[in-house]
Amino acid sequence: MKKRTFNLVALAMVMGNLHSFASEAKDIEFQIQGINSNKGKLYVQLFKGQEGYKNGQAVNASIVNAQKGEAKIMFSVIEAGEYAIRFFHDENDNGKLETNMFGMPTEGYGYSNSAKPNFGPATYQQIKFNVPTGAQKVVNKTQVIY
Amino acid sequence: MDRRQVLKSLSAMTVLGMTPEANLLAKSLSNTTKYSDLTQVQQNFASALANEPALLGFTDVKSDFKPQELTIEGRWPKELTGAFYRNGPAKHERGGQRYKHLFEGDGMLQEFTMADGKVRHRGRFIQTPKFTQEHQAGKFLYSGPDSRLENSLGVASPNDINVANTNIIPVSEKLWALWEAGSPALVNKKSLDFEGYEVIGGTQSYGQSLKGVPFSAHPKIEANGDIWNFGLNPTGHIVLYHLGANGKVKKVKVIATQYQGAMLHDFLITDKNLLIILPSIKSKRSHKNDGFFSSIEFSKQLPMQVLLINKEDFSITKQYELPAGFAFHYGNAWEDKDGTVHFDASLYPDLSVLTALSDVMQGHDLQGATDAQNVLVTLHKNGSHSMLNTMVNSEFPRVFSQVTGLKNQTLFHVSNETGKMWSDRVSRFDLSSQSYQHYHFGDEYLVEEHIPIKGTGKQNYLLGTALNVPTKRTCLNVFNADALTDGPMARAWLPYHIPLGFHGNFVKG
Ligand SMILES: [Fe+2]
Repeated sequence: MKKRTFNLVALAMVMGNLHSFASEAKDIEFQIQGINSNKGKLYVQLFKGQEGYKNGQAVNASIVNAQKGEAKIMFSVIEAGEYAIRFFHDENDNGKLETNMFGMPTEGYGYSNSAKPNFGPATYQQIKFNVPTGAQKVVNKTQVIY
Repeated sequence: MDRRQVLKSLSAMTVLGMTPEANLLAKSLSNTTKYSDLTQVQQNFASALANEPALLGFTDVKSDFKPQELTIEGRWPKELTGAFYRNGPAKHERGGQRYKHLFEGDGMLQEFTMADGKVRHRGRFIQTPKFTQEHQAGKFLYSGPDSRLENSLGVASPNDINVANTNIIPVSEKLWALWEAGSPALVNKKSLDFEGYEVIGGTQSYGQSLKGVPFSAHPKIEANGDIWNFGLNPTGHIVLYHLGANGKVKKVKVIATQYQGAMLHDFLITDKNLLIILPSIKSKRSHKNDGFFSSIEFSKQLPMQVLLINKEDFSITKQYELPAGFAFHYGNAWEDKDGTVHFDASLYPDLSVLTALSDVMQGHDLQGATDAQNVLVTLHKNGSHSMLNTMVNSEFPRVFSQVTGLKNQTLFHVSNETGKMWSDRVSRFDLSSQSYQHYHFGDEYLVEEHIPIKGTGKQNYLLGTALNVPTKRTCLNVFNADALTDGPMARAWLPYHIPLGFHGNFVKG
């Protein structure tokens, strides 16, 4: 069951799964801190494993209205293993990450593990986290980079 | 030109990717030296300083300089009223560590105000977020272009490590402290407080499209107040800016070049064209741990390229190839009615200066580096060029601000006659008679950039700082700009020295 769509329908289905497969599903609670305004939406993508991340194939995605301060995004997954998250704050609500003339983001963005680019993009190694077998809930925290 | 057109010209860049993962910072600031021992750099400098007092100009500054009135030697001209601002790296060390390159230190603003024949000074670090965070921590938190920390906080965009340390210009009611890889740092004229980074075009239709895009430290300001500038992306793309005197965008365009030098410091304007001059350097960075400056090499095979760019629409109208060379600075350019272009360059035959400005951070003198010389270049309509080397050592060339882009009669620069650590004299070159006047300060002085200022009537001034090594004090000098050999008309002495800086400008009161 892989969802590559990036819409609210997908989110609704995930929420549904939470109830029907509560005993098998594992929750990923992704806490985004430092959201600077109520403007626009947060676009959050969940990837499974290095390949999925490299190919940009999200297994799940969530779009939520931005709220100044903190947001909690819930994902439910069946399989244990390595996951990674990236997101951006679509402040002007046009559905894409704005960049400047040299291609640098001018809207907020970020990754799992609060990873930050450092003289280059954040690497998969920096952003991956483990969802262990038998775990019911994994919490991952991050900070928006503006 | 509206924003849509600008973005259209970027179509080649958009395919490079617009996601954080693909952001071009990867190219622009990527790669580092080996995790060097910045503690060792600090120790090397400290022990060298014990034997070489002239290294005083490169020592770390611990705190701001309080406002005070200076001691005048001679008579300070009463008509010279206003503020002389200078900028330069001053925070070289924290927590026992020292930066590896002179270009890395946080900028400090030196303000000399003059009125009624009196001179006052204050010095203030530009309180960027990086400066403030590191100040509170008592140590470096961010890697610099050459100095890499093992546990650096993430550097996601150039402004994260913008040290605003190269130049300072007045724009509207603010001061813009400039650093070539990032945005202008806004400084309040009264308090000298940092007030954020300018988002160029931010209140116009450009929105955030120019946010964080490099704005070089050498804008050219025309007599009408218009500000022209460029910014380099190490991909070779160069953004060209035309701003009004109020800092608002009149037009902007990105041009694609093959330039791989990664560093581009200065440029020129005439009344009709911009001159983007691409020196014979190439960045050889291949590994994440290669330093930014230390990876740049001189390439004898690479001609120096001049792009002539129309000021009306920023189109490249002509290209010239000059012999291999490198320059940080140019004084001025102008063109004849028939389109012949003239300019001067403080031209180096190699890039040893860039390494020397790293070696000096470890306590080595600059004697091993080749000096730049004042070279006059003429670009002919038929695509050929001619060059005249005055054979006089030259750096920090300046002309009267009124003639920027127009024919200049005189060119002022500092020069190194016998000094081994910095310049030791000021020079005035008369372009029609091709003759020089020099004033040699003496071996015990480290002479910084001097700028020519028009007074009332026929009186012109040359204003600049120099560090007297034996007394460990800096003085502000004022010369009769047309009679340098007479020596300074007056000096205003600080009771201590301030660090050697780069560029400054005078704002009439
Ligand atoms: Fe410069």
